[in-house]
Amino acid sequence: MSKEPVSAHAATPDPSASVTGTDPVEATPIEATESCRYCWMCRHVCPVGHVTQRETLTPHGWALMIASVKRGTLQWNAETAAALYACADCGLCRAHCVTDQPLPEAIVSARAGVAAAGIAPPEAYALHESLRAWGSRYGARDRRVPQAQGDVGIFVSDTALHAAPHALDAARRLLDTVGVRAVPVAFGRSNGHVASALGFPDTAAALVRAVLDDVDAAGCRTLLVLGAEDQYAFERLYRERLYHERLGLDWPADVAIVSVSTVLADAHANGRLAFHRLDEPPPYAYHDPCHAPRIAWNAAAPRALLRAVLGADPVELFWRGSRAHPCGAIGGLEVTQPLMAARLAEARLADAAASGARWLIADDPGCLQNLTRHRADGVEVRGFYELLAERLAS
Amino acid sequence: MTAGVSSMTERRKFGPVSQRLLDDLRAIVGVDRVSTSDTDRVIYSVDSFWLPQMWHDRGVRTPTPDVIVHPGSTEEIAAILTLANRDRVPVVPWGGGSGTQGGALPIHGGILLDVKRLNRILAIDETSLTLRAQAGVNGGQLEWALNERGLTLPHYPASANGATLGGYLAPRGSGTISTKYGKAEDLVMSLEVVLANGTILRTPDVPNHASGPDFMRLFLGSEGTLGVITEATMRIARLPETRLFRALLFKDVATGLEAGRRLMVQRLDPLVIRMYDPHSTASLVKKVLGYELDGAYMILGFDGWADIASRQETRALAICAELGARDLGREPGERWWNHRYDFYYPPFGFHLPAMYGTVETVATFSGIERIYHAKKAAIEGTFGSIGVQYIGHFSHWFPWGASLYDRFVLQDVPRDPGEAQALHDRIWDVAVRTSLAHGGMINEHHGVGLKLHRFMRAQYGAAWPLLQSLKRALDPNGIMNPGKVGFEVDDL
Repeated sequence: MSKEPVSAHAATPDPSASVTGTDPVEATPIEATESCRYCWMCRHVCPVGHVTQRETLTPHGWALMIASVKRGTLQWNAETAAALYACADCGLCRAHCVTDQPLPEAIVSARAGVAAAGIAPPEAYALHESLRAWGSRYGARDRRVPQAQGDVGIFVSDTALHAAPHALDAARRLLDTVGVRAVPVAFGRSNGHVASALGFPDTAAALVRAVLDDVDAAGCRTLLVLGAEDQYAFERLYRERLYHERLGLDWPADVAIVSVSTVLADAHANGRLAFHRLDEPPPYAYHDPCHAPRIAWNAAAPRALLRAVLGADPVELFWRGSRAHPCGAIGGLEVTQPLMAARLAEARLADAAASGARWLIADDPGCLQNLTRHRADGVEVRGFYELLAERLAS
Repeated sequence: MTAGVSSMTERRKFGPVSQRLLDDLRAIVGVDRVSTSDTDRVIYSVDSFWLPQMWHDRGVRTPTPDVIVHPGSTEEIAAILTLANRDRVPVVPWGGGSGTQGGALPIHGGILLDVKRLNRILAIDETSLTLRAQAGVNGGQLEWALNERGLTLPHYPASANGATLGGYLAPRGSGTISTKYGKAEDLVMSLEVVLANGTILRTPDVPNHASGPDFMRLFLGSEGTLGVITEATMRIARLPETRLFRALLFKDVATGLEAGRRLMVQRLDPLVIRMYDPHSTASLVKKVLGYELDGAYMILGFDGWADIASRQETRALAICAELGARDLGREPGERWWNHRYDFYYPPFGFHLPAMYGTVETVATFSGIERIYHAKKAAIEGTFGSIGVQYIGHFSHWFPWGASLYDRFVLQDVPRDPGEAQALHDRIWDVAVRTSLAHGGMINEHHGVGLKLHRFMRAQYGAAWPLLQSLKRALDPNGIMNPGKVGFEVDDL
């Protein structure tokens, strides 16, 4: 017999209890707007709605806008397109929908139409061109080396390589310490999420194919990921958005996706990883990374490791765990809507400050880069892997 | 006046939203917090009322605001209302937009005042168990914040995730556990309100005194027609040690109502009594919870200290057993509690293209069963031939009576939106007039808004001019949410 904790409102819905799951192959995502246009049940979790308080920039608002265009009461133009591209594609609305309405997929489908019509925000095209031409949002061809082989790989995304190379180096050093020899996989490639979120499914599919080819060439049975965006892309994005229309793209069933922090936490629990505990650390919080609420992100692992290094429990943000808000480094938002991305980052830092944290610790490379840019008074952003590597016991 | 769209578009008494006014608004709240964008105007022209949703669904716009303003403080709202009063421009407050009665629709255009930026929790007094918060705070977020401290605002409407604190109070809402903790209006201690002329009022800190009339109550149920609620102090509670739920099956509505009556008049203090009529049991309960049952399905809940709640439950079950109820056990009761909001997610909730409406009412125990049968007979008798179905449940109970949360639904709706609206209004006429004819109210907790606007004179009879005179005194130019809650523009 299930028993809800004694709390006021219904807890975060259990996806396994979903009554009407959405078949990823059969669903036509944009039709979700018909269900969501007059539904307010996920309003409370939308981060963009929270920082703007504009009805238009909420799940209900986006769904109604798309449905209104369908009916001719609105048209796609620069104004509506800007509103459409304000969604962070964080997936919180769907994660909190007991009937699993694929609204993020509907919004992305609408963006594909807008992008094809040439009326997406100009920044979206510029970012897309970089992804299309270079396979990386950073606009530079990374030195391609033959894909090394190994049982364990570590996905080295374009963001990890360019935005947080120090985090990548620290993570690999930690893995070496516990005897995990992870070969770099898909060196410098985008995982496809940004292209998908911007409404360029063909480019997303091409990027995914390249990643899948590298995974296949590596021959690994376990692929390690540094943050939640990669895990989301591999576990859900390929299947839910790109499977049906994009030639059967899906993650290979025999390759497990595991977060680096899970491996490290297991090693620490088994006595294979030890740290010099920091004396008198400041109050700290862990930033549940963007996308974490929409997947089974192992948020206990980083918290356990931080507890080991810092000797104290983290203080918790209000927007944490299953309701964790993104930091703004998501779906290309920091390029297409920099002010919105900044507001999300500032809200995250304000949440940390209000919670009493003096350090906000981030593991996902994109989150780390974005939060660091928006450092707030009294809150220092720290890299999770770097902090652990600094405190390694020899 | 009907609830219709065509009659909503005339602008008889109101001034235009001039460039000067727009400039003044921007000076108050900032340039990026004043929007005249076509997109925003369309999005803010629809709330949770079926009627504008239907028009939009058929590709027809309903009246839009001229401008949407996002104030961030009480003082900014006061300044905005002062300007609107100066220029005789309508002001329509908007919280979550989740109201079902059209109360937030800008039917005369003007300024749409989105109060969601007023979203701060100002004080929590754990000694007195009170909360002071701004009116725009989201219900779900507020509850999370309280839960972190082991507290709760015991007002659990299905709309909580989308609604605001001000939206709880303005239409006198009820939540799932109102039977024990009261309606939103019973939980409020004091209000801050801004009047049409910009005056900021604060009611006394405590509600129970003998210092003259309680003018705070004037604003509860006024839905923005008398002023804008900007802050409220609410009674809160500690999360209980336990909550117990159980499901029972009664052979019919009459025996279930009698059981509920005995529980209430014997003061067993139930948290929840929720009884679905046989039609709802066979349809909604089956669809959402998965139980196939024949009869009236009742959820019974108690909370508080474990030993006391258990004793209350035991006594309640004995009363139900005396009336022949079948005890279905704890699991289906807990299942309902854990999934109580699932009923409102698509596709479980009623949705377009169907026509539907909640024609809820409230009455004493002496009359409530009669109203149920009368409304069922009237709606199905009048409209059954075209496929209108009637279902109901009894969900908010008082020591003297209960609310009937009854609904009609029609799947095969006329394609022409004008015809659909006319049919919609006829069904509402039959439902509400039947409630009134049998001693019921025109509603229990959804508010009046635009939907029930035309029934207010019938509801209050000779007392209506008193309310009209109050409206004139507080809002002489009639700018506050015009055309709602019975206050006609022409009356002013």
